[in-house]
Amino acid sequence: MEEETQEKNFKASQGKGSIFWKELVKGLVISNPVFILTLGLCPVLAVTNSIDNALGMGAGVIFVLLCSNIIISAIRKAIPPLVRIPVFIVVIATFVTILSLIFEAYLPPLHESLGIYLSLIVVNCIILGRAEVFASKNNVLYSIADAIGIGLGFTIALIMIALFREILGTGGLAVFGFKLFSIPVLSEHPMTFFISPPGAFLVIGLLMALFRWIGVIKGE
Amino acid sequence: MLERLKSKRFYPIVFLALIVLVSVSLLLYIDTFTSEVVEAQNKAKIQAVLESIFPELTDFEEDGDLFVIYEGDNITGYTFLASGNGYSGIISMLVGINTDYTIKDVAILSQTETPGLGSKITEKEFTGQFVGLTLDDIVLSGDGGSIDSITGATISSRAVTETIREKMAGIIEMLSE
Amino acid sequence: MNDLFTIFIVMALVNNIVLAKFLGLCPFFGVSKKLSNAVSMGMAVTLVMLLASVATSVIYNYILVPFNVEFMEIVLYILVIASLVQIVELIIKRTNITLYNSLGIFLPLITTNCAVLGVTLINSSGDYTILQSIVSALGGGIGFTLVLIIMSGIREKLDVAETPPAMKGLPIAFITAALLALAFLGFNGLM
Repeated sequence: MEEETQEKNFKASQGKGSIFWKELVKGLVISNPVFILTLGLCPVLAVTNSIDNALGMGAGVIFVLLCSNIIISAIRKAIPPLVRIPVFIVVIATFVTILSLIFEAYLPPLHESLGIYLSLIVVNCIILGRAEVFASKNNVLYSIADAIGIGLGFTIALIMIALFREILGTGGLAVFGFKLFSIPVLSEHPMTFFISPPGAFLVIGLLMALFRWIGVIKGE
Repeated sequence: MLERLKSKRFYPIVFLALIVLVSVSLLLYIDTFTSEVVEAQNKAKIQAVLESIFPELTDFEEDGDLFVIYEGDNITGYTFLASGNGYSGIISMLVGINTDYTIKDVAILSQTETPGLGSKITEKEFTGQFVGLTLDDIVLSGDGGSIDSITGATISSRAVTETIREKMAGIIEMLSE
Repeated sequence: MNDLFTIFIVMALVNNIVLAKFLGLCPFFGVSKKLSNAVSMGMAVTLVMLLASVATSVIYNYILVPFNVEFMEIVLYILVIASLVQIVELIIKRTNITLYNSLGIFLPLITTNCAVLGVTLINSSGDYTILQSIVSALGGGIGFTLVLIIMSGIREKLDVAETPPAMKGLPIAFITAALLALAFLGFNGLM
């Protein structure tokens, strides 16, 4: 409790603008959802088999996180505590459905390759977690910053993992049809292991260990 | 005023119901215009595939899952939509048949099979095997027929084969009436 | 792949929902070393999965498809699952308090478990009938429990092994999962 009051006082003493950026950066590094908080991992492993999927999922999560944070923060004073979790869930589910409908109509190949993982954004612990921990307790402006920060942190983590998996697994990199590059020997005999499920577990495990070894996060 | 409202016993239920109502209305609204876009896209896709199966087609008539293909005033063939469960999801395809009920070509419309394995059902190497076959020939080589499964993707291969055979039987029966 | 036996085998082994579909990872990595806890968790999830699959399959086949409102799928499914978890939680609390205490916070967390919602979504994307959905849920739940039991046994060994500090905890668990997933890839040959 004391920590909370300290944090509140600290925030009050700063200008609104700098708090905005602090919240944003927090989501990127210190509280990076994938490597540090290890939340919402299910889609991470599934969509990092290609850069296209990673970017699509990242954009989707940012969209849902942003919209749900804004709405929940806006109505936070009216939400009765008893039904707050169902309310969060319905709000998040609505935006996930909107995302799915938009992808289905305007980005069909992405919708097809993301499949059920697009709908599974609704149970992504990150979004529900931010709603409970942040958006329901802070104003709209900070909630926006939080959403963008965490969303970007998530997307960057996805891109990092996808880079490894796609380059090693297909021997090249192609973004939405544009072939960026192709490594000579590797592209004829790519290590498809990395595109497969075990490859997903391996890459993330190694990256996590790397992050801890560098000391970016405190280890266990 | 909000505090007084919040203290009423019915408030939580009413609030939740309101949220659900707003959600449903919003989704209904968005669905009406996105589903139009999706339908238009599907139509365009089907038309493109029909033209690739029957390059000389001038017109086609739609009747449920069946498309009657015209070249001028003559019926030059038929194409039907078929879909079945593959390894991980539904595989949907367009199958073109000639007027003598032999297969003209097979085109996979959508699938979510394993990339590199089951996804090979979209390749000419697999679909080309169906060309020229009659209904009774559409059997996997493992079951005594002429269709070779893709190595390591038996379920996907079987799914396509059986889906085509079953649907084709129904279509031929319907056309013969 | 419409016959029931194939659906079951594919959900449990060939396309194991944890190791191949990446669903239900939170309880998988958080599983305790005690075998009985792993089994309880697995059974609880299987029960919810089964009930949810029946309920959502009914909704899908009798409401969503006939009335052309498939877009309501996500909202309805997750509300159904949340309610079912509440009910199951109440029942367990009333009938077996020791089980309730040992499951702890993991019971309400089944709501946000990708595994349950994931299986119901797999059922609708495959256009399964109610019977097919039941078999699919059984396969998924049993496959999930199986993997949980394996992981529980391995965790015991992991805790006493000498792992480098950076690897301790989640990283080494992920690498273990990689090896398990690799082993399960062998089931592809069943087909």
